[in-house]
Order: sequence, then structure tokens, then C-alpha cells
Amino acid sequence: MTNYIPTVGVEVHVELKTKTKIFSDARNGYGQMANSLTNVVDLGYPGTLPTLNEEVIMLAIRAATILNCNIQRVMHFDRKNYFYPDIPKNFQITQNDTPIGYDGYVEITKENGETKKIFIEEMHIEEDTCKSAHRKDKTLLDFNRAGVPLIEIVTKPCMTSGEEVKLYLEKLRELLSFGDISDCKIEEGSMRADVNVSIRKNERDPLGVKAEIKNIGSISNAKLGVEKEIERQAKLYDNGETFKPQTRRFDDKIGDTVLMRIKETGNDYRYFPEPDIPFVILTDEMIEEAKKGIPMLPDERRRIYVEKGVLEANANKLVQNRTISDFFNTLLEEKTDFKIASNMLLGDISAYLNREEKELNETTLTKERFLELVKFYQEGTITSKNLKEMLDMILESDKTIADIMKEQGIENITDDSEIRNVIKDIIQKNPESVSDFKNGHDRAIKFLMGQVMKETKGKANPRLANDILLEELKS
Amino acid sequence: MEEKLSREELLHVADLARIKLTEEEIEKYQVQLKKLLEDVEKINEVKGYDDEILIACWDDNTKLRKDEEGVMLDPKQVIENAPHHAGNYIEVPVVIGESEGA
Amino acid sequence: MKYLNKGISEIHELLKSKRIKPIDLVEEAFDNIESNKDLNAYITLNKESAIQQAKELENKEVDNILFGLPIAVKDNICTNGLRTTCGSHILENFIPIYDATIVEKIKEKNMIIIGKTNMDEFAMGSSSRTSYFGAPKNPWNKEKICGGSSGGSAATIAARDLLFAIGSDTGGSIRQPASYTGIVGLKPTYGRISRYGLVAFASSLDQMGPMTKNVYENAVLLNALVGKDPKDLTSANKEEEDFTRFIGQDIKGMKIAVPNFLMGDIVTDVVKEKIKDTIKILEKNGAMVDYVDVKYLEHAMTLYQIIAMGEASSNLARFDGIRYGFQAENVKNIEDVYLETRGQGFGEEVKRRIMVGSYLLSGENAKIYYNKALSIRDDMRKEFKKVFENYDLIIGPTTVSTAYDLTDPMDDPRKSFMDDVLVIPVNMAGLPGMNIPVGFDKNHMPIGMQIIGNSFEEAKMYQLASFIEKELNLDLTPGGER
Repeated sequence: MTNYIPTVGVEVHVELKTKTKIFSDARNGYGQMANSLTNVVDLGYPGTLPTLNEEVIMLAIRAATILNCNIQRVMHFDRKNYFYPDIPKNFQITQNDTPIGYDGYVEITKENGETKKIFIEEMHIEEDTCKSAHRKDKTLLDFNRAGVPLIEIVTKPCMTSGEEVKLYLEKLRELLSFGDISDCKIEEGSMRADVNVSIRKNERDPLGVKAEIKNIGSISNAKLGVEKEIERQAKLYDNGETFKPQTRRFDDKIGDTVLMRIKETGNDYRYFPEPDIPFVILTDEMIEEAKKGIPMLPDERRRIYVEKGVLEANANKLVQNRTISDFFNTLLEEKTDFKIASNMLLGDISAYLNREEKELNETTLTKERFLELVKFYQEGTITSKNLKEMLDMILESDKTIADIMKEQGIENITDDSEIRNVIKDIIQKNPESVSDFKNGHDRAIKFLMGQVMKETKGKANPRLANDILLEELKS
Repeated sequence: MEEKLSREELLHVADLARIKLTEEEIEKYQVQLKKLLEDVEKINEVKGYDDEILIACWDDNTKLRKDEEGVMLDPKQVIENAPHHAGNYIEVPVVIGESEGA
Repeated sequence: MKYLNKGISEIHELLKSKRIKPIDLVEEAFDNIESNKDLNAYITLNKESAIQQAKELENKEVDNILFGLPIAVKDNICTNGLRTTCGSHILENFIPIYDATIVEKIKEKNMIIIGKTNMDEFAMGSSSRTSYFGAPKNPWNKEKICGGSSGGSAATIAARDLLFAIGSDTGGSIRQPASYTGIVGLKPTYGRISRYGLVAFASSLDQMGPMTKNVYENAVLLNALVGKDPKDLTSANKEEEDFTRFIGQDIKGMKIAVPNFLMGDIVTDVVKEKIKDTIKILEKNGAMVDYVDVKYLEHAMTLYQIIAMGEASSNLARFDGIRYGFQAENVKNIEDVYLETRGQGFGEEVKRRIMVGSYLLSGENAKIYYNKALSIRDDMRKEFKKVFENYDLIIGPTTVSTAYDLTDPMDDPRKSFMDDVLVIPVNMAGLPGMNIPVGFDKNHMPIGMQIIGNSFEEAKMYQLASFIEKELNLDLTPGGER
């Protein structure tokens, strides 16, 4: 097969996390009874008019900022006219002339560590369509989704592989969900991607014929879809065949793209400025206000965590769970052992959360109690075995860690003399280990510590015991 | 003979507007649309204006609504005026192909 | 006993002193409508619930001047539970499930909606003859049109069925029929009255307004209709004001402009003469009247054709037989639902305008026509504003002639625009405009004068209008006083 240069551009729609719809005050919700989240505006009733949700503008400014876009200061909306039963007015209110953001980028990091900027042509605000379910000879319409606010983010055709598309989509999802802009749940349709794929032989050649892939249900399918499409086009060209610009969709079952339709010469959307919505002029104050709402983004979180002594792999893991990462952020100003803290959160606590199918903020763990816990652990007052025993109490009750320890009977022997007596006794009973130690066999320490723990039924503070043992051995 | 819009052009705009025309209407509209389209050509005679546009006479800009939920319809009201429905859904004959939009 | 031929203040006193009840007025209104049935002014009467409402009002305090008074509402304004057809087959059985803001305001004042008035289909037309329900007739001569599109509202007021009607005006649809039927009709400044619930024809031009037999009652009704509405972003944020406040003041020193275009060759001599006579009266009473050139006025009709038809093609796309309204029978697939429903549901004029509008916005045409029209529109508005730097008001005729025959041919697609050539510029510039009767032609058909104000200066227009009304003291009841 000849080597072709693929060119891929991505259009992503994300639903914004608002309380109400973009042009009406009906609830923006998911998974409710059909047609229970609408009003006359959403149904396109005669005489109804759009209003404009302030929060949509704020979230869109935030998104534009996060995506490094320039922000359009004077915007209007436009009507995109076409007939389709999922669009109640038979036009969609969108931004054609004045997208809120333009000329942005996001940076992806490839597996080899190389970074690449994915350029964003524009991002605009628009309304979502209603949901249609196709039956044998009928189509059923549920208008709950009609008018849910969307932003559409359009990249330049600057990607060259399915892998890059995957990294871009992952990055976008991470940024927009951490920015509190969207849930970005692909399976619920709150993030939807369409990709445009073409290939050519040479950089200098004009772009090849484009195929658009719609209906992509997951990021891995996006990657696979692009790869399959590149392969399909290459085979056609290799065989001396051509094809028409077309729309394809990704079919989960066969793991490949299938033809939906050949694109007719440009759709005629008859755009014109929406007369029912006055200009939106974004002031410095509005933009500042919107930016203030941007939470700390993943890259910065990772950087700070590593700075605080968290292992890089753990820093990545922390960021993968938003609530854990948010919790971790509340510790950043405190003096604590962040390495231990991160291990605890990602280890036993995460295991508990997975088992109980809970989020961290649904447990009773507070910053204060967690700091107490880390402190005891760091001092060696509690062992990892203790932690496991106490975990349910820690996460399900409000008691102080000290109280829980008392209740559980976890009273570590921190009395120097008591431990010292035990250790002296053990050293006397195990002369061969002592001589092993003196001959440089570190293993002996482990054995002797084991004996100490056995003798104290695990209650000796390990660090203290270790220190005393070394002292006694060296004396 | 009266000037006419070509049949093809007329049928194209009728299709854009999703209006089915009878033969009789086609005949009539070919003549009538031609007249109106001649009228609007006069816009090209206008000179001297600047580029600034007036979309509508708005008294103010940036009119935003607070993100607060209002009253919603009962699903029964949603289907009340619809010619066809199935349960809480509004029903149409089967739709082939996908939405062009969002 | 007749009460509805009296002035509003007198009726109000009668209600307040309990000498009459709202039900008396409601029954009288329905009697009048019944005896004027041949005018075909109404599409739907609201008899049952109007009577019920009138009875309920008997126990309430008469707390405002509009209390208990019957009102007619144009049939493109949504009334909850009351059929709203827009004069179209496609909405023949459409029952709205919400009230327009203007209807809420009417109800707040405890006015009683008597019925929905006849109109050109979706307000597209100038003679109300495009109504699916047949044309209303002119009370001055039943062979004549009563203008349009608010023809039914004009006819019922001219016939003195009741005191108040609401019309809508996209390119003269209140003022022109007011002129043809000898009544007072005002299109307020764009944004003055919330459009929420008015079925849109051309969103950037549409505005509703009061239609009454005299100037004072017009201003009183306007008082009740205005105000910013959070449901309509184009409604203006203006303080409440009393539009009657200048009524009765003289016009000494008032500066008035007459655009040469409004008195040009297109206007018939009989209309021009009547306007000139009126101007003489104004000058005699200390007003300064100048003829001025207002640039772009001659192009207003072209701009209107492009903008109004363009917007209409989009606004009327929602009528597809899916969520409400008529759906064609025996449709097999979704494309048929659209094509057949809209093909059968819309009338000739509406289909023509939607198709032209679709053409004007399609492909590159949006740039060639639509955007250009918006640019010229901006300049035209600025030209008007320049006039108002030096003048208080603009006047001229409302129509080029008096009402013509109902049987006049309808096959010229330009005709309906030509009828409105003098009233269209006001909508383009978002200004307030009104008609007041100033006389009759030799067949005793009314002639109207148009008064145009600067944005939000309706009170000043009422001042001039009431002055002229008082000076002329015309008998404006068809067939003489009842």
C-alpha cells in the first residue's frame, strides 16, 4: 500500500452544564420521562420567542479561554434554516458570523513525549435538537433535549492519525469537564464528535476528497474509525478508484465505518442574523467574571502534585478522579506528607470507593480527619494493617481518628521502655541473627522486627521499634 | 409572452420551502415570482450607503436571562395539539437519514 | 339602551356607579357583531367565556378605566384555549396553550376578549382578502375592502361594534386599514409592546398596537399594553408613562416635516388635497410645516420585500404539521408531511412570499440581497433620525388612495406591497406611526393622515392627532350616528 498523508479535522458538540436551556427556562436534564422537560418555546410554538441564558455565555467564555481562543466581543446569533423533525422551528439558532471563540489550540502529548498543538478554528454557541427514536415505520420525538445549550468546537484539519484524534478528544474531555463546562459523557450524548478524513500523496497536493464520520460512540471508536477510513481511502486510491464526498457512520457491531449518504452539492442553510436576539457585547468585567469560575485545570494539578512530592504516575491517577483531585487540592496549603496522602487516597480509599460505588465526597472524610490520619500513619502510630481495619469507620462515621483507634483497640505501644525491654529480650534469644546483622546481612533486621511484632501482637510502633532495634544491635 | 422564472428554478425554491405545488400553481408562480424577483433587483440601484447593518431596532444589547428554572409543560399538553402521538411521544412517519445539524 | 357608542370616560363612570354591568357591554357588543355579521370581521367569537368573565367581574371593584370593556384581538395573537388561526387553513383548528403577553395585560386590566378578528393569512396582504375565512368588508361601503392585514379589527371598530381592537403592523397593517375605514390606529415604536405570543411574520418589523374610534381611547389603551417583557428580548426597557398627557395641548411652535416622497406622484390628488387642507389648519394654529427630502424612502418597499419575505420564510418554517396545526392526510414519509401539509395548508400569497424569501436567502443571494438590505435599512433609519433632529413629527398621507373594490383583481403580486408604500418606511426604521381620519373622498370613503414620531415619542403624536381630531370634528360613524 502506498504511503498517504492523512488529514483529519474534528467537530465536537458538547452540552453545557446549565440548569436551564439556552433559549428557554425549561430544565436542562437527562434521562427523564419523554417530553417532560419542555415549554412552548422548546416546542417552537407560534408566537414564542427565545431568551438567552446568561450562564451559557459565561460557560462559553470559560471554554473559549481554556481552549486558548480569541474571544469575539460583539456577537449576534444566526438562523440556520433546514427542515428536519428533530428541529422544532425548522431552523436552528446558532452563531455563523460571530462565533464566540476563534483561533485557539489545545496541546496534546503523544506517547513518545512529543507535544503537538491542535488548532481550533472556531467555537460557537447553539441549541441542541430533539431526540428522535426510529421505529419500523414511525419516528418518535422527545423534545427534552431540544434547546439544551451546546458549544461546537471545530479544529483546523491539522491531525494526521487516529491516535492524534484520540489524544485530542481525551484532552478536550479532560479540559471541559475539569472546567465545569460539560459532563462530557459520550455515552449520554453530552459530548459528540464528528471527524472529517481525507488523504493525499504529497504535502503540496490539494486536500483529498473528504469523508465525514458521524455517530461515533466512544473515543476509541473515533480512533478506530479514522484508521479504518484512512485504510479504506488508501485502498481505493491504490486501485485507481475515486469516491464522492460522503457521510459515513461508525458501526459498533462491525467495528468499521459504513456509508450513510453521498453529500449533495453544499447544503443551502439560508443563514441570516437572528432578529429576536439583540447583540451580545462581552465586557472585560464579564470575561473576568467568567474566568474566575475556571477551576484548576489538569496540567496544573499534575505539576503541583509532583512538586509536592507525589509520584508522577500517582499525580496522573489523582487527576483522573475529579472528586479525589478536588479533595487533594484542599490539602495543598497544609503541611502534610503528600506522598502518603496520595498513596492512601489511591490505595485503600479508592478501593473502598470502587467497592461501595461511591464518590469521595459521599463519604464522611473531611480534610481535618484525613490530615490526622496521615499524621498518625506517618508517625507509625497506625500501620497499613490498622488502616484497613479502620477504613469503614473513617469513611462512614464522624469520629476523630484518635477515637476510632481507641474504639478499635488499636493502641500502639509508643512507650520507649516497654518496647526496649521486649527488644532486649528478643536479641538475647536470637544470637545467630545478631551475628548475621553484624556480618552485614540486612535480612536479619526483618526477622528480628517480625519477632518484635509477634511479641507485641503488632502493637509496637514500627518506626520506633526499628530505631530501638538498630540502637540495641549497635550497642 | 410574459417573462417567467424557469420551471427548474421555481421547483428549486419550492423545494427549499418544502411546498408542493400543483401544475396550475407552477404556471402562475413562474410569472409572479419573476415579477417579485425583478422588484428586489432594484436594491442594486441604491448607492451611497455604508456597510453597517441594522438587524432590528433593538433598544439595548446584551439582554440575558438568569439561569433559573421556570414552569414546564405536562407531557399531555405537549401531545395535545400534535396530529399524531404515541404515548408521550410526538409521532411522525419514519425519518430516513440523519439530522444535518447539531 | 346603547352604551358602546359613548366615550370611554362616560362608560367607565356608568360601570363605576353600578348603573351598568360588564355583561351589558358584552351583550351589546355581541348584538352589534351579530347585526354586522356580513362584515365578516371575526374568525372566532369568544361568546361563552366572555359572558362568564363579565359575570365574574360583577363582584370585583371597577379599579381602572378599561375595566369590564370588551376588546377584539387580531387572530395572529395567541389566546390560551381560544382558537388562533392567523387567517390560515394550516392553523384552522389550532388552540394555543399559552397567552400572549399582550393578552395577559388585557386580562390584568379585566378587559373582556370578545373574539378574534379576521386578517390576511399570516398578516400577508393589504386587503384582508388572503384570509382563508373570506375577506372582511368595509363598513363605509360593503363593496370595498377594509384594508389589511388587520382588516377585521378595523372593520369592527369602524362599525362601532365595540371600543377597542388590537391589530398588528409589519408593513402598515394597522395604519392602512385604519385609513381605509376612518379610525385611529397606532403602530408603536418597535419594542414598545412585547411581541411574545404574536405569531411572527417578520420579527424585526412586527409590532402590535391599538385600533380605536378616537385618539384619546387609543392612548388609554396603549397605556395598558406597553412595557418591558422578559420573554421578548426585543421589548424595550422604558419607564411607564401616560400617553394621554399631552392630549388637549395646542400645537403652537410644533415643527412638522412632510417628506416629499409621501406627497409624490404615486399619491392620488384627492388624498393629497385633503392632507394639504389639514396642513393649512396646522399652520394657521402656529405649527411650522416644511417639505423635506428623506433619503432612501423610495427604496423602502424593496427593502421591505427582501427583509419581510426573508424573515417570513424562516418564521413560517415551523408550520409543518408535526407538533400542532393541520397535517395533510395520506402522507407516507416525512418529506410528504412537509410538502403536502405546507402545499395544502398555506394560501397563495403566503406560499409566494415564503418561496421568494427562501430564494432571497439561498446560497450567495443572502449577500446580494439580504445583507445589502440590512445595510441600507441602517442608513434609512439614520436619515429619519436626522429629520427628528430638527422636527417634532413627520406627517403625510397613510395611503395613496381610498379603499378599492373587493372585486379588484388579485393576480398582481406587487399590488399588496404598493398599497403599503407610504407606511412601510416606518417599520423599516422602527418608528411609531399612526393613522387619523382627516376627511372623505367624493364617494364618502375615509381618507387618512399618517403621523410619524421619533422613537418612543408616541405621546407627542397623540397631541397632534387629538388636535387635528378636534379641529376637523368629522362624523366618523358609517351611516351617521347610531
